[in-house]
Amino acid sequence: MIQLKDLTFSYLKSDGSKVSETPQINNVNLTINSGEFVLVCGPTGSGKSTFLKTLNGLAPSFTGGVISGELRINGVNLLGLEPHEFASVVGYVNQQPENAFVGDTVIDEIVYCAEQLGLPIKEIELAVKKISQLLEISDLLERPLLTLSGGQQQRVAIASALVAGQKILLLDEPTSALDLVGAAEVLKVLKRLCSEEGVTVLLAEHRISRVIAEVDSVLVVHGDGSVTKGPTATQFNDPRFVPPIIELGLKLGWKPLPITTADAAKQWNETRPMFQSKVLAEAGKEVLSVSDLEVSFGSVQALQQTSFSLAGKQITALMGENGSGKTSLCWAIQGSGTRTKGTVTTSKGDTQDLSTSERLEVLTMVPQRAADLLFLATLSAELEESDKYAEVPSGSTAKLFQLLAGRIDTSIHPRDLSAGQQLSLVLAIQLVKQAKIVILDEPTRGLDYSAKHALAKQLNSIRSQDRAVLIATHDIEFVAMIADRVLVLEKGQLVSDSSPLEVLGAGKQFASQLAEISQEAGLISIEQVKL
Amino acid sequence: MSATTRAAHFVSARKTNPISWWLAGLSLAIVASLTSNIFVLVAICIGTLSIIRLCRDDSPWAQSIGFYIKLAAIVITLRIAFRIIFNLGSSTEDAFLLLPSIDIDFGFGNALKLFGPISAEAFNFALIDGFRLAAIILAVGMANSLANPRKLLKSTPGALYEIATAISIAINLAPQLIASLSRVRRARSLRGQSKGMKAITGIVIPVLEDTIDQSMGLAASMSARGFGRKGNRSQFQVIGARLLAFVAICFIVTGAALLLFSPDQQVLELTFLSFGLVLAVISIRLSSARATITRYRKEPWRLGDAIILTVSLLLMLLAFGGAFSR
Repeated sequence: MIQLKDLTFSYLKSDGSKVSETPQINNVNLTINSGEFVLVCGPTGSGKSTFLKTLNGLAPSFTGGVISGELRINGVNLLGLEPHEFASVVGYVNQQPENAFVGDTVIDEIVYCAEQLGLPIKEIELAVKKISQLLEISDLLERPLLTLSGGQQQRVAIASALVAGQKILLLDEPTSALDLVGAAEVLKVLKRLCSEEGVTVLLAEHRISRVIAEVDSVLVVHGDGSVTKGPTATQFNDPRFVPPIIELGLKLGWKPLPITTADAAKQWNETRPMFQSKVLAEAGKEVLSVSDLEVSFGSVQALQQTSFSLAGKQITALMGENGSGKTSLCWAIQGSGTRTKGTVTTSKGDTQDLSTSERLEVLTMVPQRAADLLFLATLSAELEESDKYAEVPSGSTAKLFQLLAGRIDTSIHPRDLSAGQQLSLVLAIQLVKQAKIVILDEPTRGLDYSAKHALAKQLNSIRSQDRAVLIATHDIEFVAMIADRVLVLEKGQLVSDSSPLEVLGAGKQFASQLAEISQEAGLISIEQVKL
Repeated sequence: MSATTRAAHFVSARKTNPISWWLAGLSLAIVASLTSNIFVLVAICIGTLSIIRLCRDDSPWAQSIGFYIKLAAIVITLRIAFRIIFNLGSSTEDAFLLLPSIDIDFGFGNALKLFGPISAEAFNFALIDGFRLAAIILAVGMANSLANPRKLLKSTPGALYEIATAISIAINLAPQLIASLSRVRRARSLRGQSKGMKAITGIVIPVLEDTIDQSMGLAASMSARGFGRKGNRSQFQVIGARLLAFVAICFIVTGAALLLFSPDQQVLELTFLSFGLVLAVISIRLSSARATITRYRKEPWRLGDAIILTVSLLLMLLAFGGAFSR
């Protein structure tokens, strides 16, 4: 059991000579029971990660700042201790497991914590056997970590966090980089850990629509310092992060609000709401043509002979599982990525032959690791540099950034922004450029629902300017909201090129949640539902 | 399977203890620093490169060798270029390169003489010096690209664990820097740069930040899993063992340095070295007896390791023999 009493955590901000405290978490009092499955959510940058880190000492040990109050775990106040003193009771898994791995093979990684805690070898053996069965990784024990899929890596990370018998598990967006299959695998084992092993799970997530049906309660980090916890249906009154299923319930005035797809389906069948057919944009002039494109890395073929073209006035989604070749395709189109064969023709010629600045005139791209694009010391300097480069009126980037991420103090360092805020900043910088072709690789990771709506709006206005947009993503609900056309990659092969109604419709491979709920042909996004 | 690939199979990076590669790399570096024979130095350069080619796997740290090759090439070129440009006190008699000389008079002291005729001996000396540095760089590069830094941690004794962790994180830094350098450069080309923006702010700062972020992330993950726990040892015991280890390392380093720079004081050197070794053994014994860390699976020593260690030991003995007989 975790009890928080008057827990307060503040980052210190030095402003010349004055040091001020801005509380991220202010006077929090709440209790989390043993075996409870808690979803931790909140708007972009509200401090979900920080909140989790306070529960095992990583904040303030690794983040700086000051903490006060009481943090009782099983009755003992552990506030102020170093993270390694929490290790025997609390397990922690972060967003990118590959950066946290200390071992070479799966078994090395799993036993690490047990070794550090000095458990006897016999006990470790038993623990490894049990935990690897529970997480379904018994067959992988001898494999090098780098050869595993994202979902497998994340399960190994969970196993290594629980090997010493920890009964509390903190997870910071463990599925944000995973495809549907990988995310479902992880969610399934978390559910089982709670119900069978009595592990208390605190899961911070952004894509919550498919998680809320599984959890016992929802904890919201509001961003103004307050943190609230309660039953799922009562926690979504902040319009910034209402998941689609609740949005649907609110829109149609359903009571009680549906939480599971089954609840919603029942209500849908009883009320039979009206909906419009999806309006898909007519394709404009062709602006980019990919022909016979192939990408190989050594002996691995990431992309097999692919041809298609992109047209203005159209938003195209690129979908497929992890490792299907989406990112390789994006970089190969951009021109600086590896390309084994084929051509990518734009109005200025093949992107591979263009200089950096010529490329930027025809094409703008947001890569998966968006933060790599940031390099200045303050947010305001980044915004100014962006306006200057894009030759747009001063303040344009700032305006777009504010739409995506809300109002933020511009004197802070871009590295101090949350992952979602950094992504919003890079989106603003890249979208303010006037290039005809826009490529976005996973542009919704870590964004809350209001940021996604703002991004969708911006992309709609780009579409109306006769520009072409290509979005590689796992985010089905986002695709349902804005795409006019969907390309599907499977193991490096383009297997389908069709309307979103085909791919996201009821019973299809990437069925959207609304399609699953309603089972209506031609209905995939909430915007279509009439009042 | 040809004979070479079969041999490589035994000593391939995945099948050997990472400590062997570091010992081999260090002994090759010592051999290089002891010899002035250009053929031996070139042989070390070629040898390390072919060993890397044969034994490396496709792990990220194995990719760092390109960086070491470039560095070695730059060092050789610079060493020779400096010799030619800042040509001090070369006799003109057995001139090997007859370059016109440029005198720069600052108005005080001697005029600075640039270029001018260079004797074959001076040129030779610069060449050997350049190759010696290159051989040392490549030997360290070999260790770095063949030894899995993560496995290295597993093979260190409990007492040295914390030092070893610091070292292995540091070793990991080079490949990480190289990886983030190429990523950031690619990302920068996506962003573009307005006029007046310095390239250095665009590349160097994000690369350093990224590398530090990643190391901090790793440290946080290790700490959250119990690394650095004091366990049931008292503060006194922890500090005592560390102090002893530190003194031991000082003795060994001093001994080794004396051995390299003034090889004629053998008694003193051997005293330093053996005293250091004894202290190290005591310190390891002391804290391993109260170890709070379990080793689930020790990294084994295999046939490949024996081959690597024997060969490097032989090379080192030969080099020492050569150095002492001179």
